[in-house]
Amino acid sequence: MKLLLVEDETELAVSIQQYLTNNDFVCEWAKDTKAALERVSIYDYDCVLLDLMLPDGNGFDILKELKRQNKPEGIIIISAKEALETRLEGFNLGADDFLIKPFHLSELLVRVQALIRRKNFKGSNIVVHNEIEIDILSKTVSVHGKGIDITKKEIDLLLYLIGNANRVLSKAAIAEHLSGDMADMMDNHDFVYAHIKNLKKKLTDAGSYDYIKSVYGLGYKWIE
Amino acid sequence: MLAFHVAIKNPPVADAQKKIHMKLFTKYNRINIIASILIFLGGCIAFYFVMDHILVKQLDEALEVEQSEIVQYTKQHNKLPEIVNTNDQQTYILETTRPVPSTVYAFKKKLNKEDELYENIRQIIFGLEVAGKHYQVTVNKSQEGMEDFLKLLVLVAAIMIALILLAGYIINRMVLKSLWQPFYSSIEKISSYQLQQQQALQLPTTNIEEFDLLNNAMNNMVSRAEQDYRILKEFTGNAAHEIQTPLAVISTNTESLMQDEAILERHHATITTIEDAAKRLSRLNQSLLLLTKIENHRFELNEHVQWDQLIAKRLEELNALADSQNLLLMVNTVPVTTLFHQHLASILVSNLLGNAIRYNYENGLVQVQLNENSFTVSNTSSLPKLDSEKVFNRFYRHPETKVEGSGLGLSIVQQLCKAAGYRLSYTYDSNNKLHVFSIQFS
Repeated sequence: MKLLLVEDETELAVSIQQYLTNNDFVCEWAKDTKAALERVSIYDYDCVLLDLMLPDGNGFDILKELKRQNKPEGIIIISAKEALETRLEGFNLGADDFLIKPFHLSELLVRVQALIRRKNFKGSNIVVHNEIEIDILSKTVSVHGKGIDITKKEIDLLLYLIGNANRVLSKAAIAEHLSGDMADMMDNHDFVYAHIKNLKKKLTDAGSYDYIKSVYGLGYKWIE
Repeated sequence: MLAFHVAIKNPPVADAQKKIHMKLFTKYNRINIIASILIFLGGCIAFYFVMDHILVKQLDEALEVEQSEIVQYTKQHNKLPEIVNTNDQQTYILETTRPVPSTVYAFKKKLNKEDELYENIRQIIFGLEVAGKHYQVTVNKSQEGMEDFLKLLVLVAAIMIALILLAGYIINRMVLKSLWQPFYSSIEKISSYQLQQQQALQLPTTNIEEFDLLNNAMNNMVSRAEQDYRILKEFTGNAAHEIQTPLAVISTNTESLMQDEAILERHHATITTIEDAAKRLSRLNQSLLLLTKIENHRFELNEHVQWDQLIAKRLEELNALADSQNLLLMVNTVPVTTLFHQHLASILVSNLLGNAIRYNYENGLVQVQLNENSFTVSNTSSLPKLDSEKVFNRFYRHPETKVEGSGLGLSIVQQLCKAAGYRLSYTYDSNNKLHVFSIQFS
């Protein structure tokens, strides 16, 4: 999977690149509009991560250019501009997702995975992880082929954990993922604990291996 | 009208400065009338005495004429004249042994035989020598006619003065009212002006120099304030925006550190602290941005919000958290739709419900009630009654609060209610130990 990251902040770009590379993505980096337009005209990417405020222009220009050339790339806007209008403009121009800075890298990763899954979706959209099978369309989960009773939030959490397998996820990152835009109020760590506990219990009760491990009380890790 | 405005604007300080407010022209009129009355009163008195003096002098002249006529007569005829006394004038001649030294004028009171009343008279007493005999002549002249004249004069003067005062008062009232009209219309515009609404304050030009001075000064001041406000707003927006990027660098790098087993083992507490602090700062930043935007009326409240569905959705999301504390949730809602903003309504409900759960205790209670008129969230809490004056203030946190929070949640709810014209209130039900937050729609 090949990604293009358009971001002018070097420190941020480096850590995003590193994180995505560690998760088996090829991540190229363009520092400004010019470099980004050059790259998209030569190569094809699965997904473009687009910052809006760039030294030589607006990220929306790149978005418009991609759409004009009918490029198939999925586009995730990563911006510090959280204004509703900006977000709506992004979606109107054909962006697939919008992530507000600061975000968790784990969150970025599952968004990229979900986007690629949606793009490559051919008739079925099922994530299989050993004995666990998640049908994203019908929102069902089965363990060893047997369906289990699970909430939408828990499926969301499960996808997030599997998507970030073998990586430490802090409680704050999990809380933010689960609460989405409502992060303000639901970053309570008990809330994360409650969700993790329920999910863990449902999976192990159905005979699954206990993949979820607590890490020094700071977060959790899905062990493959 | 001015006094009325002031009274409405400052109800809390009204006690501290209980001054009597009066209009400028009422005050001016009052001073003017009192001064006029005093001056005219003094004038009247002076006028009376001057007139009195002049009239007495005239009387004296008449008496002197009489005297010289008598003296002339005696000199020519060498005998006393015949006396004809009238109502107005009487002459008495008495024989004396010695000559009368000099002429004397005097005031006297005399009983009038006709109506038995005393009347004021003026008399002249002089000596006369006729045929070797000495006489004392007294001529009396009644002052009555003069007094009547004087009374009439003073009365006319008093009536004139009263009329002048009355006319002055009425003219002041009518003319001043219309003269001050531009002032009142400016005041009205200024008091309804709000910096946040971004409409320029345009005070009209009048043909009165003082009002134009005032209006120009106000226009200039407001446009300066508007500019400062714009700059401040831009700065707030830009600053908050610029903070987001370094924060992103901090949190992504912390996350990378977390992936290193060796570092994590030794420094997991430190890493958690850094992550939490960065997160808190970012959340604070976003809340402040949101508050600023609500205050700047950046949102249009024109979406149909179905509160019952919204509440159900948020409760579903919060269910796991409520379960973890084993809270009893009592929800009683009916379908209610109002014009609001979908995203903002969602924040409002989340903040209220989130608080009710976060600040609760194990096995506590959360009541959610929604009807056509109001949305009420009541909850038990380990915190005692909150200060209802301060509870919606930014960064207000009860000293006993252990739960982490930005201290902005309720401020945001309050600003949202204010923008929509809803009434938000906090009460404490001491019987059931419930904190009650209620929003009255309309």
